Amino acid sequence: MITTPDLIESLVANAAPVRRLRPPVVRAAGWLLFAALMLALLAVSHEVRPDLALRLRQPDFVIGIAASLATGVLAAIASFIVSIPDRSRIWLLLPLPALFVWVSTIGYGCLTNWVSLQPGSLLLGDEAGCFALLVLTGVPLSLAMLIMLRHASLLAPTRAGISGGLAVAAVTATALSIFHNHDASAIILIWNFGTAALLVALGGTFGRRMFSWVAPH
Amino acid sequence: MSSSPHSRAPALSLVREAAASSTARDPATHSDRTLDWSICMARAQGGDREAYRRLLEEITPYLRSLAARRVQNRGDIEDAVQEALLTVHAVRHTYDPTRPFGPWLVAIANRRIVDGLRRRGRSGSRETPLDTEHETFAAPETNYHEAASEARALREAVEALPPGQREAVRLLKLEEMSLKEAAAASGMSVTALKVATHRALKNLRKLLGSKGEDK
Repeated sequence: MITTPDLIESLVANAAPVRRLRPPVVRAAGWLLFAALMLALLAVSHEVRPDLALRLRQPDFVIGIAASLATGVLAAIASFIVSIPDRSRIWLLLPLPALFVWVSTIGYGCLTNWVSLQPGSLLLGDEAGCFALLVLTGVPLSLAMLIMLRHASLLAPTRAGISGGLAVAAVTATALSIFHNHDASAIILIWNFGTAALLVALGGTFGRRMFSWVAPH
Repeated sequence: MSSSPHSRAPALSLVREAAASSTARDPATHSDRTLDWSICMARAQGGDREAYRRLLEEITPYLRSLAARRVQNRGDIEDAVQEALLTVHAVRHTYDPTRPFGPWLVAIANRRIVDGLRRRGRSGSRETPLDTEHETFAAPETNYHEAASEARALREAVEALPPGQREAVRLLKLEEMSLKEAAAASGMSVTALKVATHRALKNLRKLLGSKGEDK
């Protein structure tokens, strides 16, 4: 085993100048800018759902979309903050109020529109398009988050994974409600909430492994 | 240090009060010391090796005392210190010089110490140190107290070999000579030694094997 003074010598020998990380909020803004760019590109390639203008006049839809967007923004900020060693883990709670509103709007919509779910509304082609959209937005956003938070692999991989997963899930859900018209709210519930739960679980479970894959120790 | 806090600038006295209210002996919360470390780290981020060496050498005893609070074993303490140093090195770009250095360092050190405890806990729950009383295996043959008699059987089998083969086994296997040394010692050629060893091992296998079957 190497002795500690030798280790210090070898670390000093490798002490190349490093660029300091920008403040977490600035880095979160960078990631959100990337997310906005992704959504803009999708809006150009895919068309926006036909009844968007109509839906934007309905308060429950607007509240839902604003809440999911806010969850995404706050969760992104939280994950960049908790990835810094000396910041409190209480920052993880930052997206919770928005998350609560988001989940309640989905739940409320589900409760009032439950009957509108008809057997014919579950079309396979539609679901495949939905899934493609999910992957198209989710994968690049997750990768960008993973690379930007690679230093967290040594510090708080699980925490950063959970929070980053929530940010990706919320942004993806926002994209989904802009581009896809699902009026069967059970589907919204499954897609939005299921994906969010899945991404958060994936982030929490595999965060450590994925981070060590991006930034080998 | 003995001067009253009122004679200092307000910001500084605030920091001093905060340091005094937490553990007074803790160097990481001691404002002067961490200010110093903070400056060193800021310089190290810019590539100043001397500042970096000074910082690492100064934080090492502190890391050791942190680790010693949670870990008993000396070797494990040193492991935790080294891992903390490696992590400090790997994430030194995450330190923001406008913030105090102590909490940053303590957060990293605690993470490595806890990781080490977890790892040792995991291996401790799966592995058992091997004591002399454990040096026995499930197979019944291993529990016979006949190691001595087996050694005698082997010695007798070697004695039973033809002289050339016996010599080859003695030199090459029991005295662990190289082929060249054995050739010089016995006067046999290297090839002859090889052939003799091969035949000797074959014979021994036959001799001991037939005995094993008798049992």
